[in-house]
Amino acid sequence: MVALAKKVPELTALILLSVLGYLIMLAFSQVQSTEILTATGAWWVVFFSFLLSTAIAIIAVIGGVGGGVIYTPIMLAFTSVDTLIIRSTGLVVAMFSGLVSSGPFMRSGLANIRIVFFCSVPIIVGAMLGAKAAIVLSTVMGDTGDAIVRLALGGVLVFIAFLFITGGADTEYPKPKKIDKLSTKLGLSAEYWEESLQKPVRFQAVRALPGGLLFLAVGFTGGFFGLGGGWAVVPVLNLVMAVPLKVSAASSGVLLAMGNAAAIWPYIKAGALIAVFAVPWMLGQVIGGILGAHILAKIKAGFVRNILIVLLLLTSIKLISRGIEGIFGIDIPVI
Amino acid sequence: MSEQDRPKAPVAGLVYGEIIYWGTVISAVIALIGSVVNFVTTSNHILPSALLSKIWQGQDVTRIWEDTVGARPDGHWYLDYLATGDGLATFGLAFGVFIVIPAIFGSAYVLFRGGDKFFAGVAAVAGLITVGAMVV
Repeated sequence: MVALAKKVPELTALILLSVLGYLIMLAFSQVQSTEILTATGAWWVVFFSFLLSTAIAIIAVIGGVGGGVIYTPIMLAFTSVDTLIIRSTGLVVAMFSGLVSSGPFMRSGLANIRIVFFCSVPIIVGAMLGAKAAIVLSTVMGDTGDAIVRLALGGVLVFIAFLFITGGADTEYPKPKKIDKLSTKLGLSAEYWEESLQKPVRFQAVRALPGGLLFLAVGFTGGFFGLGGGWAVVPVLNLVMAVPLKVSAASSGVLLAMGNAAAIWPYIKAGALIAVFAVPWMLGQVIGGILGAHILAKIKAGFVRNILIVLLLLTSIKLISRGIEGIFGIDIPVI
Repeated sequence: MSEQDRPKAPVAGLVYGEIIYWGTVISAVIALIGSVVNFVTTSNHILPSALLSKIWQGQDVTRIWEDTVGARPDGHWYLDYLATGDGLATFGLAFGVFIVIPAIFGSAYVLFRGGDKFFAGVAAVAGLITVGAMVV
């Protein structure tokens, strides 16, 4: 920890500032109690959210997914908080660990700026359309719209869990059999330093067109459900476009930050991003994102991945049952 | 192979990464200060306990805003309330989201100066779409 504090002094400063800030909030609180929540209860909600967000960010970085994949389904399944508020905060959770990891990934040369910009346009357009669609659905259909979102998200989670079980992106250095003309013309090739081999690795990304179209869908799903899209960006880059796994993972964080930045604006302008609820989640993601990136090398990612699979499947059961309950007005006794 | 063979990170990537990284750290500090002001003063657009109670009760966004300030906002409402805790905290969040835009354009400029006009154009398009999401 001391080495980490020396290496990333701004992280230490941010942790100390956050702890100090929350202590001041507790000691000098002017918050009035309500029938629902006492003043101390309000502080605990905020502080617990911060701690939980930090833990989610660490798990998400180690598991190779965005934090939104953990946060949004759990909140939608197990709390009665409005779906629009959860999804807007979910995008914050998905975005900020990606934002803060952009700097180190770019410095190390692992994230490729050409691939990032090429994929950014479809992912940004998709994310914006998804966010707009979410707001329209919520406004027009109300509770039924929320139930549809829960049911559909339950299905998406089962699919993500299936991707994890079957392996997902695990091709470290893909060797494409054929390089298409568009990818060659775009010059989607680069070189990065591979620490484990102690030598530079050169690669050529392929299938630029299908990759771009898939990113449109990934962006839409992420913007609509408030999931981000970390679970899908790495497989598309690695398995479809034949980008090495490390470059895919690093570029994924940078891409997610870009896509979610476009998706969050409609929520902010519609008043669905509420600071007192969202800020602790944002702070936790920034701190946990940096911590997770440094812990990553020392922990077995496979173990965390198995926990994620169980978590996703359990949450999907609850989401699907709540979705069916909301649409058909029946009571399903699950969990 | 030696460390001398280590490929240098492209300048366009470095410009993008550094703007984003430090912008995010600054936005986190602003949001934290806003949250503290939100809790330790009465200078707030909406009372935090009322907001949290309504959120935990499961009230929808429209009703929360209507019950607390009369109407749901449409646009960048927090810019008119920067002296309040919740306005400042929301500005901190928005600043972290906004920082992507100068980072994209800064990187596009470096790509353009380096002769990589196609990717400079793609980056500019990505930046313009994000600006569109913020403005429209």
